[in-house]
Amino acid sequence: MPLNKDSLPNTFLVATVLCLSCALVVSAASVALRPLQLANAQKDRRNNILQVSGFTPEEIEQDGGIKEVFESRFEVVIIDLDTGEEAREDCQAAMDKAKDKDVNLAEEYDQLWASKVNPDKGLSEKLEKKSDVCGIKSREKYSEVFIMKSVEGKPELYVFPVRGNGLWSLMQGYLAVKPDFQTVVGLTFYQQAETPGLGGEVQNPDWKALWKDKKIYDEGKVKLAVIKGNKAGNDYGVDALSGATITSNGVTNMLDFWMGDKGFGPYIKQMKNQDSSTAKLSAAGGNNVK
Amino acid sequence: MSSKTSAKALVWDPVFNNNPIALQILGICSALAVTTKLSTSLTMSFAVIAVTACSSAAVAMIKDRIPSSIRIIVQMTIIASFVILVDQVLKAFAFQLSKELSVFVGLIITNCIVMGRAEGFAMKNSVSDSFFDGLGNGLGYSIILMVVGFFRELFGSGTLFGFTVFTKQSAGGWYDPNGLMLLSPSAFFIIGIFIWALRTWKPDQVEEA
Repeated sequence: MPLNKDSLPNTFLVATVLCLSCALVVSAASVALRPLQLANAQKDRRNNILQVSGFTPEEIEQDGGIKEVFESRFEVVIIDLDTGEEAREDCQAAMDKAKDKDVNLAEEYDQLWASKVNPDKGLSEKLEKKSDVCGIKSREKYSEVFIMKSVEGKPELYVFPVRGNGLWSLMQGYLAVKPDFQTVVGLTFYQQAETPGLGGEVQNPDWKALWKDKKIYDEGKVKLAVIKGNKAGNDYGVDALSGATITSNGVTNMLDFWMGDKGFGPYIKQMKNQDSSTAKLSAAGGNNVK
Repeated sequence: MSSKTSAKALVWDPVFNNNPIALQILGICSALAVTTKLSTSLTMSFAVIAVTACSSAAVAMIKDRIPSSIRIIVQMTIIASFVILVDQVLKAFAFQLSKELSVFVGLIITNCIVMGRAEGFAMKNSVSDSFFDGLGNGLGYSIILMVVGFFRELFGSGTLFGFTVFTKQSAGGWYDPNGLMLLSPSAFFIIGIFIWALRTWKPDQVEEA
């Protein structure tokens, strides 16, 4: 049968049928595999939270895996970043309004997504140029905070999700601090695409180890920074990555923002007040010790 | 077309006799990028084998209907769909590896080998022949990746598939890792040496000066 495959109708027919069938295959795969991918991403984030809190992979393995350790040791609270109050219900209500499908906050809260939702929906707010030091343009209204508790239920450390722009990419990570909200336990990034070998060294375990026991605040202001040619023994400085000035500055700005008034500042203030009113004496003196 | 005799030849020919990287010098870019470790090399190999084999077969299946004016874009669409499929599957079942491979799985679309086989072979041959040809070329690509990955991981980190072979000095052993092996240029050297060895073994591959 002489099939005129080069005719115009056939060209359109082939193009249309091909596009439709390819689109069908691709979207079917995407929909079918999405739950697995989300579970993987969550597991990866939790793994990062555990590692930034000082768990080694062997310990996690021993204690029954990521899910088990995370769920037994960590409490996830959702806070209103502006007031610092816990606000799980408010957040759930806003999520229900903004999303068509049902979202259970206990299972997932996509913070990055929330920060990009139209501010009218009550999940995010635009940042003014002046306060937007780490270049994220808009910030979510509610944030997760992960609290690691001892067996007696006493908070042992707090893990804050932080993010900010480096040279090429949005760097997303976690900062773990002690309950005095002054001493850093660790900083890690689970998502970044900085130059491998230069800015990508934010992932280098040796560099990450430098953050341990650094101090954050000096007289109520964030002083901790990434510093070029940092002097040994400086509690407020971490050595910059060589050849990666913009990435290093990005990390400084990120800390500045998320530990400041627009970030977790109000929450930290709140927690400290609670602490001093219940115990009459804050655990390690907070930021007025130094 | 004599397809009965050639299925085996179609698969094995591109591995040593007509290797896409060593003889045709195609697909070099990803061979540099993903070979610092054997585990990523292996994953990438499987991904490329799957994509070349399936896309060649799919192109051959509809070759009589493809208008020549849009044939390249049709091949591209088919290849891209398979690449997305592979990427999605990796994200679902091998999350850590897919994170390490990051954009390079997506970049299989631009791997000249895949496109080259679709346009150069699958457009003229039967479905099964094209499938085996794609499989063979994927294998040819893989063997280079594995060889390069083997040397880079062994000499760069002292490990193979993450297991320590040479104990590094930093861990109290004797081996001082060669940092160059972890950088892309080292792959050029290894590919060069591989081509030299291959052409010494099979002198007919030597190009005339």
